[in-house]
Amino acid sequence: MIVLQLVVNGVLLGGTYILLAQGLNLVFGVMGIVNLAHGSIITVAGLFTYWFVTHTDQSPLWLIPCVFVAMLAVGAVLQRLLLEPLAKLGTRRELLSLMVTFGLSYVIVETALNFFGSQYVSLPNLQETWSVGGLAINEALVAAGVLGALISGCLHVWLHYTPSGKALLATSQNATGAVTCGIDVRRMRGISFAIGSALAGIAGVLLILILPLSAPTADTLTILSFVIVALGGLGDYKGAVYAGLLLGLVQSGVGYYLGGDVEVVVPYLLLITFMVLRPQGLGQAAR
Amino acid sequence: MSASASPSAETDALRVENLVAGFGDLTILHDVSLTVPIGKVTVLLGANGAGKTTLLRAITGLVTPRAGRVTLFGKEIAGQAPHLIARAGIGHVPSGRELFPRMPVSAHLDLGGRLCPPDQRAALRQRVLGLFPEIAERLGQAAGTLSGGEQQMVAIARALMTNPRLLLLDEPSAGLAPKVVLSVFQTLAKLQDQGMSVLLAEQSMTFGLSVANRAHIIREGRIVLSGTPAELTAERSVAQAYLGA
Repeated sequence: MIVLQLVVNGVLLGGTYILLAQGLNLVFGVMGIVNLAHGSIITVAGLFTYWFVTHTDQSPLWLIPCVFVAMLAVGAVLQRLLLEPLAKLGTRRELLSLMVTFGLSYVIVETALNFFGSQYVSLPNLQETWSVGGLAINEALVAAGVLGALISGCLHVWLHYTPSGKALLATSQNATGAVTCGIDVRRMRGISFAIGSALAGIAGVLLILILPLSAPTADTLTILSFVIVALGGLGDYKGAVYAGLLLGLVQSGVGYYLGGDVEVVVPYLLLITFMVLRPQGLGQAAR
Repeated sequence: MSASASPSAETDALRVENLVAGFGDLTILHDVSLTVPIGKVTVLLGANGAGKTTLLRAITGLVTPRAGRVTLFGKEIAGQAPHLIARAGIGHVPSGRELFPRMPVSAHLDLGGRLCPPDQRAALRQRVLGLFPEIAERLGQAAGTLSGGEQQMVAIARALMTNPRLLLLDEPSAGLAPKVVLSVFQTLAKLQDQGMSVLLAEQSMTFGLSVANRAHIIREGRIVLSGTPAELTAERSVAQAYLGA
């Protein structure tokens, strides 16, 4: 029974992890850059959710559409002002974009420290535990896991079944090929960063339901997201789904049997193991 | 598709005049001029590194020209963004094919088809798949898992799906077995019969001259010899010297 409980918890955690990684993945796929500010967007969205709920007493879930729309706009502006000017610089772009997003992360974290302080906060909402067939199911974990997986599912449908999504997916797989189809790659870069930021925002709203957050958590979340993206294969959206689930399951099991200290290093151990044994990532199993 | 249908009685699909282009401090193309007549295959012959790919990329805007003019059916396009040049009617089959490795063949056709008027899309797709029966059987397969020859066909099919007025092909024979090359060139001949204007970049004089009505030889970023296939065959030793063969 305990194993089944751990699996359920792991899958639900994995659902949130998938969403955590997809924003970073989208930006990496289309723009070819690692957005080091990813975790800071998640954290600020989480802290804002805490502030909003404690001040208005509304359900945090109302914030999901609002944060999505707001972060779409913020992401679009940030991309246009900070990252698009780098796009023409060829290979120098990669290093410069790391510096720019690192700087951006720093600014966001410092601003968050000023607004929200440095203490860890978590939401008291959705703390009910349901008993289903002998399993204890935590309401917050269900909300975060199911919504995380659902929103990732929407991303998948958009990428694979709509003209604009297919254009973005094509750009992420081959920008030159996309241009020959008349796709405006510059516009795709803007869209990818806007949606990447919006997904990071939603991830923050969901994450504060299941994890305590504070401003300095930003770096840990960037790294955790990067680990999931790298595990799945950089820029591979299906791979990130497998990687998120795997990480959730392994963390849930390790946390129970070996304790919280070991659980924290699990992502990095997995990453190192996979880089040695399977550097192409989980998503490329078919080849 | 006939030249007389055009009100300005344009005879050239593409005219490149005094084009200069390069990367950073490096100038690759020096004062290149050439024309591609409407409804004909023109071949651009050159050795590795002669500037064929850069010329094609400068025409399609993937490399921004520093000087010179590029006119597509009488309309100046030099300096425009590459996606706008694609929309203006140039189908580019780039070197290295540049497919979407994890997307199925059908998605390549759909993405190219974005530039075709919706009411003509289905008919165009039928025609394109008729040219490439091999890939018609593999519509659901990821492009990255196809053979080199099949990938080349997908690249050409994707470009044709943009409903181009001019097709640019960058070494479609590269890395393919001779038998496969032959089938690619047979397809080119069919396209010419249908009235398509084509600029083909090619290393092999034999293959290039077999399909073309007109040929230009490029060497170190300059056009050094132009003529009909018959003229170039007559001067074969000179031509081959330029090609470094």
